[in-house]
Amino acid sequence: MNYFPDEVIEHVFDFVTSHKDRHSISLVCKSWFKIERYSRQNVFIGNCYAINPERLLRRFPCFKSLTLKGKPHFADFNLVPHGWGGFVQPWIEALARSRVGLEELRLKRMVVTDESLELLSRSFVNFKSLVLVSCEGFSTDGLASIASNCRHLQDLDLQENEIDDHRGQWLSCFPETYTSLVTLNFACLEGETNLVALERLVARSPNLRSLKLNRAVPLDALARLMACAPQIVDLGVGSYEDEQDSESCLKLQAAIRKCTSLRSLSGFLEAAPHCLSAFHPVCHNLTSLNLSYAAEIHGSHLIKLIEHCKKLQRIGDKGLEVVASTCKELQELRVFPTDLQGGGNTAVTEDGLVAISAGCPKLHSILYFCQQMTNAALITVAKNCPNFIRFRLCILEPHKPDHVTSQPLDEGFGAIVQACKNLKRLSVSGLLTDQVFLYIGMYATELEMLSIAFAGDTDKGMLYVLNGCKKMRKLEIRDSPFGDAALLADVNKYETMRSLWMSSCEVTLGGCKRLARKAPWLNVEIINENDNNRMEENGYEGRQKVDKLYLYRTVVGTRVDAPPFVWIL
Amino acid sequence: MENSNSYSPYSSSSVDSTKPSLSVNLSLSLTFPSTSSQRATSQDWPPIKPRLRDTLKSLRLRQRGYNTALFIKVYMEGVPIGRKLDLSTFSGYESLLENLSGMFDTSVICGNRDRKHHVLTYQDKDGDWMMVGDIPWDMFLETVRRLKITRPERC
Repeated sequence: MNYFPDEVIEHVFDFVTSHKDRHSISLVCKSWFKIERYSRQNVFIGNCYAINPERLLRRFPCFKSLTLKGKPHFADFNLVPHGWGGFVQPWIEALARSRVGLEELRLKRMVVTDESLELLSRSFVNFKSLVLVSCEGFSTDGLASIASNCRHLQDLDLQENEIDDHRGQWLSCFPETYTSLVTLNFACLEGETNLVALERLVARSPNLRSLKLNRAVPLDALARLMACAPQIVDLGVGSYEDEQDSESCLKLQAAIRKCTSLRSLSGFLEAAPHCLSAFHPVCHNLTSLNLSYAAEIHGSHLIKLIEHCKKLQRIGDKGLEVVASTCKELQELRVFPTDLQGGGNTAVTEDGLVAISAGCPKLHSILYFCQQMTNAALITVAKNCPNFIRFRLCILEPHKPDHVTSQPLDEGFGAIVQACKNLKRLSVSGLLTDQVFLYIGMYATELEMLSIAFAGDTDKGMLYVLNGCKKMRKLEIRDSPFGDAALLADVNKYETMRSLWMSSCEVTLGGCKRLARKAPWLNVEIINENDNNRMEENGYEGRQKVDKLYLYRTVVGTRVDAPPFVWIL
Repeated sequence: MENSNSYSPYSSSSVDSTKPSLSVNLSLSLTFPSTSSQRATSQDWPPIKPRLRDTLKSLRLRQRGYNTALFIKVYMEGVPIGRKLDLSTFSGYESLLENLSGMFDTSVICGNRDRKHHVLTYQDKDGDWMMVGDIPWDMFLETVRRLKITRPERC
């Protein structure tokens, strides 16, 4: 290979796109490292505090796409206090100062301000794609800057963000000459939408493939939008409140029938159930159906909808048996608790999971909330679906044992990890002893992310995992009796991982301090929102238990933007 | 280490975090036994994102009927005649306290007793008298039966 000129090698490298592979080729020799550096297009940074923008730019001066992740995963469930960190501003400032031709920015769990968005919109002439997932800190004014200034914008994808809706006219900020829109997702906006501006925008966007609307877009407007955009592939429906409007329903049906490219459907935030029939003509083509937020849709309507969807690959729903018998192509499934109280005939139990596993052999990812589970069911599931890559099971009641045998669910999860050789992500729940972790450490060789809640008996549990799972990247633990002995057993292990989260466990301040001393290349953060630094002032005893611990490897040392309630050891 | 409830600004620092078998009621009426160091609040368990949690909550509210009022009796210690208050009109502890302070023309707080302020307590569905403010607001609405404003300590 070294006899080829650099351009040829670079051309070969163009076919290598995964981050892992690019990292591997950069390690081969100095020459390849250099070529890879300058040709790297997409950079993925899983923890924004593991590195800083200056070092990023030094290593990769020519990238076009940046993915950044901020807060730890448990921030999604209110476990990380407001103000913890994950600010994108310094990144955008640094990139703006440099000459990098940024075209795509993907942020997850970061704090984004209107100022950041304004700066972003003005600094990169060829900026094409903005994807914000679970971010916060900005308003529709920031969106207005993006709309006004990004001449070549193709994607504006806002997923589950906390956006301050000023009910402004951000949609009208897209210039009349702007026609390059491909993706527009504003489902998470709470306020009213300028329907006229939206319709005009959609009408002049011939490349529009993905459109996800918010609550405020009513049925008749949806019908008009669909009529303007028959080429749509991915649709998120907003609100369907006006049940009486049968004329709009008919118009919608007519428009939908022309959307022969439609493959993915989501939303239905407030759906009038009988209007779902408007979508029946396209159901047989659907490969993805996400009804997570469709709390209003029940039983028969749902079943009718699913029955029409033979080609489903991704689905989030309640009619599981119907799914099992009709959706043979199903690959991903999310079942959310419709009623956190449970009980009654909407209860989701182990039977649903077994039915799915038996009926959908291609299933590889599942997120399943339920009232109860048994070892027998899990063993059956493992036998039926050995191809799981992601298996997340959440039994609503912590510590709940096998409801038939009253035994812990160790054997059930053990069967899963033993059968599923490619398992990369696992969330466990229910009554679990150290034994389940022995199994995980022994069999889950490909496991990269593990979520533990209310499980285990002693430090041995955590040690089995740390010693066994060689590919572990993210470990998050809450309310489990693991302490200092487990935390400190193998400090070097954390260098091979992205991060470790432990909350309401048995680790003490003394233990954390010792860890920080042993591993200066780790940031060991103690998050203590109620004390605001009193921990330090009062000279807390080393034996004090730490409520929230978050540690991560970093090459740039202690971060400078930590709030007072975060103590970095 | 105090087990303060981080979602209530008035959480009492006197919560005894060493009691075993503290029973915790989730706002959605799911009861389970737990030890002091292993508890889940309705805000962080089960692990679903806030938006979905809100959607489910508003669905439940709708099923119950938005206009379900929640009238409970409020007494001021030492005053025989009580008042009635519709708790469903308040968004949280702050607005409740403000309203009570206005209604009884005195300052009412949650949390530690001190000599100047009246402290708000409530009777829960088990019949026990508890300090207001320790649990998330929606859990409180599920369990509160009546309110009592206690007199400030006297020298």
